[in-house]
Amino acid sequence: MRTRIKELRARHNLTQEDLARKVGVRRETIVFLEKGKYNPSLQLAHDVAKALDSTIDEIFIFED
Amino acid sequence: MVLNMKEKQERHGLLRLIAIIVVSICVIVTGAFFSLNAFMKGDITGAVLGGLIALIILAFAILVFVRGQEDMKNGLPLQDERSRRVMEKAAAKAFYVSLYLLLAIGFLSDDIIKFRDVSQATSIAVGCMALLLLIFWAYYNRKEI
Repeated sequence: MRTRIKELRARHNLTQEDLARKVGVRRETIVFLEKGKYNPSLQLAHDVAKALDSTIDEIFIFED
Repeated sequence: MVLNMKEKQERHGLLRLIAIIVVSICVIVTGAFFSLNAFMKGDITGAVLGGLIALIILAFAILVFVRGQEDMKNGLPLQDERSRRVMEKAAAKAFYVSLYLLLAIGFLSDDIIKFRDVSQATSIAVGCMALLLLIFWAYYNRKEI
């Protein structure tokens, strides 16, 4: 899984900590999400997408 | 609604932090008593080991407390879905492996490992379980989950 969180976060001038605060998770979770090393719950994926004014399928890219 | 959720999360975080501190203090005091008792009986190895374990737990407790307080000040939760998932996986694996470990301790005691009494064997088994949990937690905390 690949994510565009880092790119969209930079576009919104948000730090990892800002995004973590917005979605109510720990900063490490954002780090792992950005690296594509954590499969989030649907709720968290939705919250991240909402915080970045985007949609889930725009942020989380699944490669076969 | 959102504010209520945040307040609830903050209260939960504070309670969790207090619980961690209370449990850590209990373990440290027990370790110190154990160490002192062993020293009084002339068991220097036991005294040093007990003291060392108490010191390691004290260091971890300080680290957890400082980081937790910092996170709470910054409005970040102490626990989230990822940290819960890591802990669940680590706990499940530690339990599974410790079953075999306890069996091994049971089979090997008397013949190969000489325990002083049941209390010492139990303490070592519980200590090993705690160590297993720590190892699996460190492993899953770095691994893709």
